[in-house]
Amino acid sequence: MYHSNRSQEGYLLVDHRNSPGITQADLLTVPEPMRQQFLATQGVFESPTIRCSHCGTMVVLNPQRTRARGYCAKCDHYICDSPLCHVECAPFMQRVESTQEQAARLLNIKEF
Amino acid sequence: MGKRSFGNTNWTPTATADTTALANATYQAIKGASATARNEIIEIYMAGMVASTSSPTFMQFAYSSTVATTPTALAAPAYDGVIDPSSVTGVTVTFTASAAGPQRSVVTTQPRLNLGINAWGGIVRWVAAHREEFIIYGATATGGEATLSAYTGGTPGAMNSHIIYEVI
Repeated sequence: MYHSNRSQEGYLLVDHRNSPGITQADLLTVPEPMRQQFLATQGVFESPTIRCSHCGTMVVLNPQRTRARGYCAKCDHYICDSPLCHVECAPFMQRVESTQEQAARLLNIKEF
Repeated sequence: MGKRSFGNTNWTPTATADTTALANATYQAIKGASATARNEIIEIYMAGMVASTSSPTFMQFAYSSTVATTPTALAAPAYDGVIDPSSVTGVTVTFTASAAGPQRSVVTTQPRLNLGINAWGGIVRWVAAHREEFIIYGATATGGEATLSAYTGGTPGAMNSHIIYEVI
């Protein structure tokens, strides 16, 4: 069944209407490289989020981005900008399921 | 299975670096109950409770690279209950204290949610799309446990929070 890639989008709301919000000065207290992962926000910030199909990372979509987003035609899903996720199609969910399956198999091994 | 809400009221996270044991009552943790367990995180909500001091709090929801040992059973005001009482729910381990605290993973290729909030009046809500949830699988590192905790930086303040999840 055909589906829109937008149906994969989650939702993030950061509401600082009654708060000073996160300022650039606040962000400077966060060590690099994690600093760039947080947003300086005042007022209300709403954005869709996606889960990278290959590494499972949640990505907050920047509404002002103009360049193309990562996409894997093999699993028909958005992927993040990490170079590792652009090498081959290794879906995150496949890893989750194979780990679970392996654990289930180990439970069935009988010791004599 | 049924959806559950795991929350805490008026708790204060502490800014803690990755791969450092989180102190009791400074985090919310979800851990699989068995090697085959799977929990899907559907929603994370935080509301700042600080009255009058700017309290930038750099919250993260991330996997643990070292899982907690001997989690302590939840005590009020923390809670973990099924949203629909008539539904069938699985078992999972939710806690805010343990004998040895969980350690947030530093590995760059693992997922984490960055949910920065100013605990002076700020609100953050993240909701996953259907089948796009944050997955916790198994019961060991890495992937079997995840924590909501504060990353290094800022001056963390008190908040109310809940995590809605489903045991699969």
